Amino acid sequence: MPERLGITNMDSSLLDTNRDIIARYTGQPSRLPAELRRRIEQAMDGDPVQLYALVDLDHALRLTESWLALGPRHVALARRVPDDWSWDVRTFERARITVVHEAPGLSASTLTLVGAPGDPPLAVLRFTHRQRGAVENLRFVLEEALEGRAPTSDDPDALYADGVARPIRDAQALVAGRDTAVLRRLLGYLRPYRVPLAWGMGAAVVITGVSLVPPYLAGYLIDRVIRPAQTGAVPAARATAIAWLAVSAMALVYLVRQGAAVVRLRLLAVLGEWVARDLRGELYEHLQRLSLAFFARKRTGGLITRVSSDTDRLWDFLAFGVVDVSLSLVMLVGLSAVLLTLDWRLGLVMTLPVPVFCWAIYRYGEALARLCLRAWRKWSRVTDVLSDTIPGVRVVKAFNQEAREVRRFGEHNDDVTREFNRIHGLWTTFWPVLMLGVHGTTVVVWAFAVPRLLGSGAALSAGTFVSFLLYTTMFVAPIEVIGQVARTMNRATTSAHRVFEVLDTEPDITDVGDPVRLEPVKGRVTFENVTFGYDGVRQVLKGVNFDVAPGELIGLVGPSGGGKSTLVSLIARFYDVTGGRVLVDGVDVRVLDSGHYRRQIGMVLQDPYLFHGTVLENIRYGLPEAGLAEVVAAAKAANAHDFICKLQHGYDTVVGERGQTLSGGERQRVSIARAVLHDPQILVLDEATSSVDTETEREIQQALERLIAGRTVFAIAHRLSTLRKASRLFVIEDGCLTECGTHHELMQHPDGTYRRLVELQMQLQ
Amino acid sequence: MTEALFERERSPGEGAGGPRHAGLALARQADGRLTAQREGRSHAVWVRPAFPWTEPARFLSLRDEDEEELALIEDAASLDPVSRVALEEALVVAGFVLEVTRVVAVEEEVEVRHWTVETRQGPRSFQTRLDEWPRSLPHGGLLIRDVAGDLYHFRDPAALDRESRALLWVFVD
Repeated sequence: MPERLGITNMDSSLLDTNRDIIARYTGQPSRLPAELRRRIEQAMDGDPVQLYALVDLDHALRLTESWLALGPRHVALARRVPDDWSWDVRTFERARITVVHEAPGLSASTLTLVGAPGDPPLAVLRFTHRQRGAVENLRFVLEEALEGRAPTSDDPDALYADGVARPIRDAQALVAGRDTAVLRRLLGYLRPYRVPLAWGMGAAVVITGVSLVPPYLAGYLIDRVIRPAQTGAVPAARATAIAWLAVSAMALVYLVRQGAAVVRLRLLAVLGEWVARDLRGELYEHLQRLSLAFFARKRTGGLITRVSSDTDRLWDFLAFGVVDVSLSLVMLVGLSAVLLTLDWRLGLVMTLPVPVFCWAIYRYGEALARLCLRAWRKWSRVTDVLSDTIPGVRVVKAFNQEAREVRRFGEHNDDVTREFNRIHGLWTTFWPVLMLGVHGTTVVVWAFAVPRLLGSGAALSAGTFVSFLLYTTMFVAPIEVIGQVARTMNRATTSAHRVFEVLDTEPDITDVGDPVRLEPVKGRVTFENVTFGYDGVRQVLKGVNFDVAPGELIGLVGPSGGGKSTLVSLIARFYDVTGGRVLVDGVDVRVLDSGHYRRQIGMVLQDPYLFHGTVLENIRYGLPEAGLAEVVAAAKAANAHDFICKLQHGYDTVVGERGQTLSGGERQRVSIARAVLHDPQILVLDEATSSVDTETEREIQQALERLIAGRTVFAIAHRLSTLRKASRLFVIEDGCLTECGTHHELMQHPDGTYRRLVELQMQLQ
Repeated sequence: MTEALFERERSPGEGAGGPRHAGLALARQADGRLTAQREGRSHAVWVRPAFPWTEPARFLSLRDEDEEELALIEDAASLDPVSRVALEEALVVAGFVLEVTRVVAVEEEVEVRHWTVETRQGPRSFQTRLDEWPRSLPHGGLLIRDVAGDLYHFRDPAALDRESRALLWVFVD
């Protein structure tokens, strides 16, 4: 089995993305310049550069480009020589460093490498927060070296790129795919619906073509029928016949047009809906496959919008945007052609201003977007006040601040109203003015046409003139669409970007080709020299070893941030180790079928999450086919049956979002019942009794004791009294397993951490 | 428990005014670090303004390597002149933010807003999330925090050139 190391495993596509981000957004080199790297390696007696970072502030706190590099034996510092822009490389031995210190400031940090006490420091480096990720890597390695450990990294380029690009990438992960590529990919989703799309497009073409007919007919009627009939050139009976034919043709045109409209609207709306469904489905399925690490990076709200409103916006674009835009273009070209052939002089008068109108609408869109952004910002303040003070109304009342809050809301409310009115001011001016322009062109057409109608200049028939006037009214709609095309495209590509960003994220945890199924899981858990870090360098777990027999109850204690939760996450394989192995029944968890394996693991978490649904559904969540008798038995074991029966709807009570209708202790017991029913071989309890009163705690404790019988249990708790029954206690401090034994054994250590913690808690009680 | 809590809050020399930092002397080392001498002992300290925007020069917390507060200096004037200079120099580093002098471009992209600015420290471009707004500071300034946590300070947005103000208009009140 290949050894997976977090650092080396950073795949090349991620490195490319990171480099793209750095080049595009930060304006700093995306790697240590090759020439400089050679010089540094020369200065370090030929040793390779293991890690490096950009140091972007000089001593006067001006932005600059200096590099800090680390070799196996040396630290190198490269600065620009101000005069000739060459590099000044200085090195010193790592062995001389005695203390590494970093002082964070508001927007710059200072890293000091101290040598012998009393001497001036070896280096004082100042850098902005942008470089902090990369510098922290160096600091970590230097500090570990001082402690006698030697973490290694063999891909300095990837680590540097990741350190600098990570904050931007967390905000926006798709950089490579630019707009046209994104648009093409989006249109690719239309492929399965080619046939309805072709029909819809066809219908739209018919609508456009047919709309050109009525004005032409009107002109024809006047020139060829009405006027000849009035002058007697055509017999009245024949003229009437032709006129009626024209009226029927007109009726037919409208019938065809509206028929085509039904086809077009229905087909495309339905088609857009299917595409949106496909995207939503694919997106949700992909989200469920993604590892926890992804959710830790992205905001939940943002992900929800991607599945809901972004796909909705894409529906709008695919169903109408695409067709509207292409048809408006056809319409404008068609209209211009018709007008120019009817009468090129008047045609020019009508068509020449069209680009100006499109441009005006485009500019209007931009101005409106600016105003909306400003209004949005102020609107968010109004909603901030609401979401602050309504949930916090007790505090407002307790401090008697109602009047001030009303005033604060009033100010923001007035403020946002001013912005809204500014927007109204813009559009209410723009559209009438634009229409004035359009009508102005019509007036110009009149001014050109009237003398010609009266006989001076080139001849113009009354019919042509009437057709013209009717055609001019048709210009407005396509101009509007074309003027807004940039915005439409922009909105669609933005949504598509956000959707594709998720789809393109690969899950970190994947099953091997031929996964092993343990049946049944016995529950032996072994850690072999396990190291783990969330970001590839800083290790949260540093070489943890233990072997837990089936049925043992292990209490995990130690300061928060020490690595307890990380340890249990690794048992559940929410993350993969960066070094060493996690074995269950002697098999590496990475070769297990992760879905099947997780079914053997139960978790009762600190803040138990109940889904929107009934108590019954929540208890049966992991095992939907369980019978009612089993559910009741599980609830009884969890001390939950009694309070559930007291609820108005019993087990059919709907518990709200996050289970808010139940108290903390009740939710806890429902989640224990869920775990009891699930019947896992390995159980993780995370501070299960932290925030409840003594009586409830006793009941939960009782429930837990029933639950843990016969299983391998890892229990995290701050209240050490709850762990008295543990077969062994593991003290996890700073990523290491520092003490291990029964309560009694650990209390024998005169200055053990566990003993200190117990004594501390005794004092508090 | 509660009693112990109160005791702890009262203890760090919150007396009734008077020269509170009598025994305290500050000095700046060659490496730029600040050291505090008190009761014959020397501590390496870092200065952290408690109110970096409301009162940047007052209520300065001196913290040692373990992040414990050694002293809270309400007013640098209460120190001797040498200490005061040392403290003010250290404050320049601790309070460093990029001072924006011109806004060159503000562009919106997917999820991020892309800023190109000139700062007193040199040209720079940075990104903010679309739904994160610049913060108005107590004395009329404007503060932008980028995705990496760097701070960009506009001391007086109204005094910028016309083009910068136009670009910034959306973000100021």
